[in-house]
Formats: sequence, C-alpha cells, structure tokens
Amino acid sequence: MKRKLLEHAFSVVLITVVLVGAVAGIGWYERNARASEKEKTEVFGELAFVNFNDPFDRALLEDVANVYYPGQHDRNETALAEIASSHEQALAKKLTSSHESERLNIAKAGELLGMYLSFLIVYAVVIALTYYGVHTIGVWRFCLKRRELEQTQLSFFQKVLRLGRSTLGVAATFVLFSPAYVIAYALKTRLNTDTSLFMAVLALVSNGLLIVYSNKFYAFLTSESRKGYVETAYVKNLNHSYDPHASDGIPYRWIFRMRKRFDGHVFDHIYRNASFQYLPTLKEQASFLITGLIIIEMALNIHGHLSYEMLRQLLYKNYDIVIATILLVFYTVKATEVFSDVMSHRIAVGYENTDS
Amino acid sequence: MKPIQHLFGHKDKRWALSWVLVVLVLFLWDLHFLNRPSLKLVVSGFINTMIISGLVILFTLVLGWVFTILLDAMQSRRREKTHFVVTFLLNLVRSIPQIVGVLFGYVIVTTLHRQGIISSKMQLFPLLAFAMALFIFPEVVDLMRERIDHYRKLDFFNAMRVCGIRESRIVNFNILWRNSRIHIFNKLISVFGIAVFLQCSVDFIISVGLSTDVNPISLPPTLGSLLAHYDSKQDIQSIASLFSDVSYFPQLFTIHLQGVSVAFLIVFTLVSIYNISNGYAERNQL
Repeated sequence: MKRKLLEHAFSVVLITVVLVGAVAGIGWYERNARASEKEKTEVFGELAFVNFNDPFDRALLEDVANVYYPGQHDRNETALAEIASSHEQALAKKLTSSHESERLNIAKAGELLGMYLSFLIVYAVVIALTYYGVHTIGVWRFCLKRRELEQTQLSFFQKVLRLGRSTLGVAATFVLFSPAYVIAYALKTRLNTDTSLFMAVLALVSNGLLIVYSNKFYAFLTSESRKGYVETAYVKNLNHSYDPHASDGIPYRWIFRMRKRFDGHVFDHIYRNASFQYLPTLKEQASFLITGLIIIEMALNIHGHLSYEMLRQLLYKNYDIVIATILLVFYTVKATEVFSDVMSHRIAVGYENTDS
Repeated sequence: MKPIQHLFGHKDKRWALSWVLVVLVLFLWDLHFLNRPSLKLVVSGFINTMIISGLVILFTLVLGWVFTILLDAMQSRRREKTHFVVTFLLNLVRSIPQIVGVLFGYVIVTTLHRQGIISSKMQLFPLLAFAMALFIFPEVVDLMRERIDHYRKLDFFNAMRVCGIRESRIVNFNILWRNSRIHIFNKLISVFGIAVFLQCSVDFIISVGLSTDVNPISLPPTLGSLLAHYDSKQDIQSIASLFSDVSYFPQLFTIHLQGVSVAFLIVFTLVSIYNISNGYAERNQL
C-alpha cells in the first residue's frame, strides 16, 4: 500500500513540476518574443512626439533618419514602413483581442479555484449518485434474473409484463447511451441547461455511464454467484429466494436502500464480495465521469465553468491558464485513485486480517 | 432454417445484423427524403467516423501488444527500474481524462493541418486515430497483462519452458493468440465504441467551442462535427417541440432529417456496439 501511495505522490509531484515548468517556460517564451519584437523597432518606435498616422510626421522622420544614417535611404524607408505597420497591427490587435489575452495571476487563479470548487461539488454529487445507481441497478437486474429463472411457467399477463419491461429497457438504453450533448440540445428550448443541477442530472443519465458500470457490477455479481461457497450456503440452509414477497426473499426496500444489507440471505455474501471487486473499477468510473462532465461543460458552452474556461483559453492561446486547469483536473483524478486504493486496501485487510 | 437460427440465435450476431440493416434502411430513407448535399455530408461523415474508429482499433492493438511484451520482457529479465518507469508512465496516461488527451491531440493535428504540414485524408485520419489510441491503449495493456499473469501461474507455462519453447513464443502465440484472442477481440469491440464516442464528442466540442470564425478548421466531416452543424442543432432542438405537440413527431423524420439521422446514427451505433460486446462475452463465457 505504501508503494502505491508513494507512486501516487510521486506522479502528483512530477506532473506538478512538469506543468508548472511549462507555465514558466511559456511565460519566458512570450516575454522573449515581445522583447525581440520590441528590439526591431525600438530605434524609432518609441518616439512619443511622432504621430505615425500623420504623413507629415512620417516624412519628417524619414528625413531625420536619412540625415543620421546617410546613404541608407532604402533601409530607413523600410524600417519606417515596418514601424508604421507594426503600430497599426498592435492597435488592431488591441481593439479586437483585448478581452482574449489573459495571464495567470492571483485574481485569475482565484477565479479558477472558484470554478474548480463548483466542478468538485458536481463531481462529488454525481460520483455518489452513480455509485448508488450502479449498485442498485446491478442488484435489481440480478434479483430479476434470478426470479425469472425461478419461474418455470408464465401466465399470459406475466408474458405481456415481461415484453413491456423489455421494450422499456431498450428505450431506457437508448436514452442512457445518448451522448450528453444530444440530450441537452433536445431539451435546450424547454429547460435551462446552464445550471449545475442540470449538469449533474445529465452526467448521471447520459454517455452510457450508468449502464456500462451497472453492467460491470452485474457481471461481478453473476461470477460471484457461481462460486462454491454459494452452493455451500444453500446446503447450510441460508435464505436464497429472490421473491420480493416471500418471507425469506429480498424485499424491494432492501434493494433501494443506501447502505445495502441482505441479512440472513446468501445474496448478502455475493453482494459484499462483488462490491469489493468493484472498488478498483471506481477509478475507471471516476475518470469516465470526469470525461463526461468535461464534455458537458464544453459542448454546452456553460460560461463560468472550469472545462468551458479551459476550452476558451485554449482558443485564445492562453496556455498557462489551460495548463493550470489541466493540473486541477489531474489532481481530482489522482485524489479519486488514492481514495479507491485506500478503501480497497482497508477492506482487503479486514478480510485477510493481515497488513500487507 | 438453420443459418437463420445461427444468425439470430446469439445476441451479438443479432445486434450486428440489426445494426447493418438499420443503417441500410436509414440510408434508403435519407435517399428518399433528404436533400443531396446533406445526404452526401451524412454519408461521408458516417464513413469517416467508421474509418477513424477502425484505425483506432488497429493502433490500440499494436500499441497494447508492444507495451505488453515490453513490460513482460522487463519483468522476466528483472529490470525493475525500467519496468517501474514504464508502468508509472502508463498510470500517468491513465490519470489524464481521455477527452482532455484526445482534445489536445486533435488541437495539435488541426494546427498541423492549418499550417499545411498535413493536407490529405491519408495523413490526417491515421494521426487523429493515433491521438485517440494513445489514451485508450492502456486498457488493452491491462487485459493482456492480466491474461499473461494468469497463465504464468499455471503449470502449462513452466511445462512449455521445460520443453524448450521460447518464452516470447509462449507469451505471444500460446497465451495471447491461442488463449486470449477472444478476450482481446471483445476488448477491441469496446475500444471501437469508446473511439466512436470520443471522436464524436471531440469533433462536436471543436466545432461548437472553437468557433469557426476565429479558428477555421477544415477537417473532413464526421458524425460529431455534423451534429454541431447549425442545421443539425436546430433539428435536434425540434425534438423538444414534441412536449407541446405530439403530432409533430412524423415531421421529425422528414423535415428535420439531417440532425435526427446523425444523432440516431451515433446513439444506435453506441447501443449496438455495447450489445454486441455483451453478447459476444456471454456467448464465449468470458
């Protein structure tokens, strides 16, 4: 465990150093580029009393240059033309991109941190909800499948019910698999899609997040249920009915509660072991969720949100701010990875009664 | 009767066939109701998306296989420091959300494209696919490493070594090809799904976020960039009108066909790939 934590700490330090170095490098490069541009035109460029828009001033300056640098008429003419052009360009750039150019200063860092905090809150809420959703859907599907296996003969009503459920399932799969921007644009004229609440709900029900990971959890439950100890538990007469109405079955409220426990039922052991196996997948799930959140913020152009800010700064080539944003996202993934590893380790130690 | 049963008996084959049939039906429908320039765009967008995603599979497989063999060779030759460095780098790639990595890859490729360094599709597609594969291949490495580790623990590995078979042959041929190709193939099906999803998302983001007047990018059309097209967005937004007027439903399939076709192609492809992968895993009891 110590090795894993050290590895995480090392990667955080390494990436921080590399990216902070990149920010410093970009700053240095920009300063140098500005200085070399300035050097070219500084001979005449900073003459405050010369109005480069006035033809008389320009002609006068050319005459002065010809006096000071005699025999270099062409050079002087070219230099003055360049200065005039650079003045025009600088003015045009100032007018068109004054809102684009930003630097990573304390105020900007504070603004980014505020956005990051809001991103973290949405992320924490959605990861908690998906964790619950993945487990609930997985358990629901497992119990449903078991009940179907227990039922040998179906009445007409049950057949119709099953068909209806399958149709509903296919429709739900289509919605759950839709990329977030498809759902968002379909609802844009009806709902305010710029809120954090909408973002959280959208992250939960789109991009296939819930369906892919609940399927993974279901696979863990299925493979666990095939193990020998389950057969032994049957022989030892542990409850093993999946009928929600039977006294020895699994009622619906057990499936939907937050902290799932199935006391006295063989499924309790299946569930606990599958949950333990699922913990490392949490890292993958978290990374996928972050991908989903970034897509939502960027695709919906939600102003004042971290990922949209990253895209905006990328567009305006303010790379220092882009790098700072990436660093924040990286920390989030790393924090989740550390959390997942620590949890897995703690549970493993609890099972094995050793501290390896 | 048997061939039909054989085709429809398994979930993966059923979904693969449905995907082909539905795409064909959609094409015929679009041929009838969609105007020619839009139809051309939708068809080329779909083909481009499929080509790039196919290339992603190829690059992911090659990168995954090469890194697996590298890591395995380092481990068996006890080069722990190098092994640690490569594993560390792989973990680092894993810690970067795929969309961020792919977005930066795309930005670099589009910059090269704008500067005229890359001009043809033949150069552009592999580069875009490679940018994506770089952030997906660790998943394939994980799977291959897991398979090798599992087989190394079994007697058959040592038995083959005692028989004088080279370790590289055991790993490459006996473990990865003979005993894991079904697993790898199943992984590649999901890689295809991830590639379609990431590509559509990045293209959509680039087309919407990096607005065309500021940053003119003339990448070949894909489903994602087509969806970001002004007409398609309006088509998708018209779905919301069903809340107030259900009778508007049939018009979605005639008037708003471009956006609806593109969105349907993306979603249906993703759903089909998911079901094909699940069905394949069930059929082969993975």
